[in-house]
Amino acid sequence: MSTKAVEAKTDPALLAHLYRRAGFGINRDEIDQLATEDYSDTVEFLLNPTAETGIPEDELKRYLGGEAPHAYLAIWLYRMLNSRNQLQEKMALFWHGLFATGLVKNEHILSSSNQIEMFRENGMGEMREILMDLAKDPAMIFWLDNNENHLGEPNENWGRELLELFSLGVGNYSEIDIKHASRAFTGWTFAQSPPLYPHGYYPADFLFREDDHDNGDKEFLGHTGNLDGGDIIDIIVKQPSCAAFISRHLYNFFVADEPQVPTWNDLPPLDPELIDAMCKAFMDSDGEIKSVLRVMFNSDSFKNARFKKVKSPIEMVAGILKLAGEHTDFRHDLAKYPQSSTFTMGQILLDPPTVEGWHTGREWIDGGNLTERINFAVDQVGDGLSPGIKRIIDRLVESGSLSTPESFVDTTLDAMGPISVEDSTREALVDYARKTEVDDDRSRAVRMIRLMVSTPDFQYA
Amino acid sequence: MARPYGLLRAGFPYLKSLGMRRLTNYPVDLTLGAEGRIYILNRQQDLAQIRKYSFDDEDLGNFGTVGDGEDELQWPVSIIADSEENLFISDESHHRISSFDKEGEFLGTFGEYGSGEGQLNRPAGIVFDADENIYVVDSKNHRVQKFTKDGKFLLEWGSHGDGDGEFDLPWGITVDELGDVYVADWRNDRVQKFTTDGEFVMKFGKSGSANGEFNRPTDVAVDLDGDIYVCDRGNNRVQLFNAEARYVDKFIGDATLSKIGREYMMTNASPNRIRDMAVLEPQKRLRQPRSIAVDSDMRLYITDTGSYRIQVYQKEAIHLNSQQFAPPMRSVTLHQE
Amino acid sequence: MSDNGNGTKNGSKKPPVLVVLQMTGGNDFMNTLVPFTEGIYYDSRHTVRIDEDRVIPINDKLGFHPAAAPLKEMYDKGDVAIIQGIGYENANRSHFRAMDIMHTAEPLTISTKGWLAQAIQQLDPNGKNVLTGVSFGRGLPRAMAAPGVRVTSVGDLDSYGLMTSVEIKEDRAEAMDIFKRFYTPGIGSGATMSYLKQTGDDVLTGIDRLQEVPGRYESTIEYEDNPIAKSLRDVARTHIAGLGTRIFYVQHAGYDHHAIEMPAHERLLGELSGALRDFMDDLREHDAAEEVIIYAFTEFGRRVQDNGSGTDHGSGGGAFVIGERVEGGLYAEYPSLDPKTFANGEDLAHTFDFRGVYATLLEQWMSVESQDIVKGNYEQLHPFKTA
Repeated sequence: MSTKAVEAKTDPALLAHLYRRAGFGINRDEIDQLATEDYSDTVEFLLNPTAETGIPEDELKRYLGGEAPHAYLAIWLYRMLNSRNQLQEKMALFWHGLFATGLVKNEHILSSSNQIEMFRENGMGEMREILMDLAKDPAMIFWLDNNENHLGEPNENWGRELLELFSLGVGNYSEIDIKHASRAFTGWTFAQSPPLYPHGYYPADFLFREDDHDNGDKEFLGHTGNLDGGDIIDIIVKQPSCAAFISRHLYNFFVADEPQVPTWNDLPPLDPELIDAMCKAFMDSDGEIKSVLRVMFNSDSFKNARFKKVKSPIEMVAGILKLAGEHTDFRHDLAKYPQSSTFTMGQILLDPPTVEGWHTGREWIDGGNLTERINFAVDQVGDGLSPGIKRIIDRLVESGSLSTPESFVDTTLDAMGPISVEDSTREALVDYARKTEVDDDRSRAVRMIRLMVSTPDFQYA
Repeated sequence: MARPYGLLRAGFPYLKSLGMRRLTNYPVDLTLGAEGRIYILNRQQDLAQIRKYSFDDEDLGNFGTVGDGEDELQWPVSIIADSEENLFISDESHHRISSFDKEGEFLGTFGEYGSGEGQLNRPAGIVFDADENIYVVDSKNHRVQKFTKDGKFLLEWGSHGDGDGEFDLPWGITVDELGDVYVADWRNDRVQKFTTDGEFVMKFGKSGSANGEFNRPTDVAVDLDGDIYVCDRGNNRVQLFNAEARYVDKFIGDATLSKIGREYMMTNASPNRIRDMAVLEPQKRLRQPRSIAVDSDMRLYITDTGSYRIQVYQKEAIHLNSQQFAPPMRSVTLHQE
Repeated sequence: MSDNGNGTKNGSKKPPVLVVLQMTGGNDFMNTLVPFTEGIYYDSRHTVRIDEDRVIPINDKLGFHPAAAPLKEMYDKGDVAIIQGIGYENANRSHFRAMDIMHTAEPLTISTKGWLAQAIQQLDPNGKNVLTGVSFGRGLPRAMAAPGVRVTSVGDLDSYGLMTSVEIKEDRAEAMDIFKRFYTPGIGSGATMSYLKQTGDDVLTGIDRLQEVPGRYESTIEYEDNPIAKSLRDVARTHIAGLGTRIFYVQHAGYDHHAIEMPAHERLLGELSGALRDFMDDLREHDAAEEVIIYAFTEFGRRVQDNGSGTDHGSGGGAFVIGERVEGGLYAEYPSLDPKTFANGEDLAHTFDFRGVYATLLEQWMSVESQDIVKGNYEQLHPFKTA
C-alpha cells in the first residue's frame, strides 16, 4: 500500500461528515483512501453514480424479495449499506420524505416500491422531469386522489399539495391557482390493474384519459391558455419560489435542522446566503438538482455544519449496521430493521405519517424513541468479532492508544468516524476509560464503543 | 423403460392452475407424493411452510415454522420426497438439509456452514438418485456434492468458473432415469449435464432472451422421453429441449382461475368488479417461475412463484417406432414428401 | 362534564384508570357474540360458524363463543357492557387506515394526534409524570402519541431498561453511571441538545420507577402463558404499584383470520377472556379494581359471508367495557342481519358511532373534555353504575 507515502489532502473528519450526510456512513479504512484525493473530487464521485454499484443485482433478486413491505425495504436497506452510489440512495430517501406517499392508503406495495425506484433513477435530475414523473406515478395519483379528478368535477387534492408541499410552499400561489392547476391535471389517472386476489399485485400504469381532461382556458401564476399538467409543471419549475423551496428542503435534509416546514413562510432560512447560492444554481441549470447539491456540498456552511442534525431512525439504523459491518452478504434478518427497529424509533419507511412526511430534528426524539435508539445501537456494536467492530478495535490496539485514558477515548472517536463529542461527554468517557483500565484491551474497547453510541452526541449526524 | 425411438409431439396444452395467494404464498418448489399429493414449499419474508395439497386444489394442511431452531427453516429452497414420502428440504440460510416425515414430524438435518468436504454454503437444488443418494447443489461453493440419505459425504465436483464442469452460483438439479445429472448453472446462464459421478457430458444455453437462451435459469427437469425442461426465471418462461438439447418449445403461462380461486371470488364482490375493469392478459403469464417438476403422467408443474400458484401442462406425445420415424437426415430439406 | 364535580364514577377516592385493549386484525364480532337464531347467519357461514349447541346464550337471541366462557361469567356478574355494532360511515376496510381512524378519531383526514394522548395532555397538562400514559407491547400506538405529549412505552416490564443487551450486571451498572452524566439536564449547547438530555433524564426516571414494580408485586393469581395475559399482568403490576398511571394501552394481535379461522379465533378468544378474568381477580385481590375499567376494541368487523376457511374484512364490529363499576348488559343495537341493510351489499352496517363511545369513556369515566378530541358531539351511552 502506498497510502503512507501519499500526503493526505482532505481532513478525514470532513469526509466522515460528508458520508454521514450524503450517504449512510463509511468505514474508517475507506476514509484513509479517500483522504488522498481532493474533497471536491469525492463530491463529484457522489454526484455522478456509475454502473459500478457494488450491488450484485441478480443475487439481490435471488435471495431477497417478496411482497411484504419490509421485504422490499430489506432490499433498499441492503443498497443503503452496500451501494457505492451512496448519494443516489440518500436522494431516494430525500424524495420519499418530501413526496411522502403512504402504504396506509394505497396498500399496493408494488406501486410504492416502484415509486422509490423512480426516485433512485432520477433523484438528481431536472426538477421538471422529477415532477412530471411524480404526476404520472400511480402511487401518488391514488394517494392524492387525482384518479378522482374529473372533467367538470375537479378534485383539488393533488393540485393543492403539488403547490403547497412539493414545489412552491405556502404563500407563493393563490386558491385560484390551485383550482386551475387541478383542472389541468384532470384525466391524469392510471389503468386498473387486476385485484390482489387471487394472484398478487400487478403494476398500475399511468393513463391519460383525453375524454376526462378539461381543455378549457386556465390561468396559472400569470399564464393563461389551455394549460395541461405539463404546462403547469413547466411554469412551476421556473418560479424563484420553487428554487427557494427545494433548496431549503435540501438544506434541511443534508445540512442542518430547520424549523418544521409549516413555519417556513414566517421564519427565514438559517443560512440565507447558502440558500441564495443554491437557488442561483437551480435557476442557472434549469432546475438540475445535481447542480444545487454540488454548490451545497462544496460550501463552507455544509463543511462546518457537523453534528447539526438529529439522525432520522433510518440514518441511525443504517449507520450502526454499517459500523458493525455484518451485512455485506445477504442475510435473512435484514428485513427486521426497517420493519421493527426504525418502527419503534418512530419511522416506518413507505408509510410516512401524513402527506407532509416526517417531522425532523428534535421531533425524532421522545422517551420511547430515545430508549429504542440507544438500546439498538448498544446491542448492535456489542460483538467484538463483528467485522466492523473488529476493524475499529484492531486500529486501537495497533496504534497503542489504549495506554492513556485520553488517547483511548480520542482514538476510539477517530476510528468510529471520526466523530466528535461535547467536552462534558468526553470528560465522562475519559473517566470511564480510567475505571476500566484493569480489563483486557479488546473487551475495554467494546465497552467504550457501546458507551459512545449511547451518548446524546451520537444522536446527531 | 427405454426411451422411445421417436416422438410425435401432438401438443402440450395447459391443463389447470392450483392454489392462490395466502394458500400457496410464494411457492418456490414442489414435490409429488403418492395418490396425487403435492408438497408445496412456500417461502416469504417470515414464512417457511410446506403446504400439503391435492391435484383437485384442496388444502390438506401445512407445517413448518420459520426460525433458527433445529427443526425450523429460514430460507428453504428445494423440497424432495423419498420413497416413503419423507421430505428433504435445503435451507440456504442455515446451510443444511432438513428432513420431516409427511405429517411434518421433524426427522433431522445434515450439513453445516463451510467449504470443506461435506460442508455447505447456501445449498440450493437437491435431488435423489435411484438409490436414494442425494445430490446437493452447494451453490456458493460452486460445486455439487453427493451424500447418502443420512448425510454421509460420497463425492463432489465443480469449482468456480465458466469452463466445462465449472459453476457460477448453480441452483437447480435433476437426475434422469438413466442416472445422468443436470445442473442449472445459474450465473453462467446455461445447463450442464454430467454422468452419475460428475463427469462432464455436455452443456447448452447462453445469456439472452431468444429461444434457447437463458436469463438466470433456476431449475431443470427431464421427463421419461428424455426431454429437458429449463426454468428460465429471468425471462419468465420455461423452455423445452429435446434430449440432444435442441430447443423445441416454450411455456409462458396460460393460467385460468384455480378452483380455490373461483371459490374465493364468489364471496368477494369488489375484487370481482375490479377484475372486470382490468386487462387480464398479464394474469395468465408466468411471473418469476422458480421450479419445475414432471410426473409419470407427463404432466409439467411450474411453480409460478410471483403469482402464488402452480400452472400444470399436459404433454401429448406419441411414441414412434422405426417404421413410423425416418432415420436421421444429413441436412435440412425443403423437399416435402 | 356529566359527572358531579368532586367525586368519580368509581365511587372511591382513587383517580379513575382506563385500560385500552386493542384486538388487532379485525375481530369477527358475529362469531364472538353469535346471533344463534338467525337463519341468515348460518346460511352465510358454512364453515366459519358456531353451531347453536355450542353457543353460551346470554338471552334468547345472542350468545358468546364457547371459548369466551370466562367473559360470560364476568357478564353474568354484571361487569361487562357489550357495545354492539360500533363503527362509522363509509367504514374503511384497510387494517392500517381503519386502525388509524380508531386511534385518531378522524375518519376523514389523516391526523397525527392520538385520542388517548390528547386525554393524557388534559390529565397531566405539564407532563409532570412520564407514567401518566403507559403502553405495553411493541412500538407506541398512534392513539397514545401526539406532539409534545410524554408517554412511556414499555416492551417488556421485566426487562425494561437501557443498555439491556449488556449482559454483565456490573458492566451495565458502571456504564449507567456514566450514562447518567451524559444526560444531565441543563448542560449542553443548544435547545435541541438540552431537550435531548431532558428526555434521557425522563427515561431514567421512568425506568427507576418501573424497575421497582416487579419486585413489589405478589399475587396468588397465576396468569396463563400467552402475550395478552403477560401484558395485562404488566398493567396490573404497574397499577398496583401506584405510580399514577391513568391510561394503559395493551395489544392482542392475530385477529385477521382470512383462513383457518375456527381454531385460531377460538384460541384467541380463550386467551383473551381468561386473561381478562385473571386481571380483574388480581386487581380485586389487591383492592385495586374499583377504579379500573377496560375498553376492548377492534378496527373493524368481518364479512357476513365466510370464504370457506376464514372471513374477509368487513364492518360493524363490537367492543366491550369491563369493570366493577360498569353496568353490565347490551348497549346499542346488534347490527341488522337483513341483507337489504348491509353496507356495500355485504357488510354489517354499524349502529353506533365509535366517537360516541370515546366521549362516553372520556367524559363519564375519566372526567376529560371530549369535544376537541372527537371533534364534535356524539351520542353517548351510559354504561356506568351511578355512584
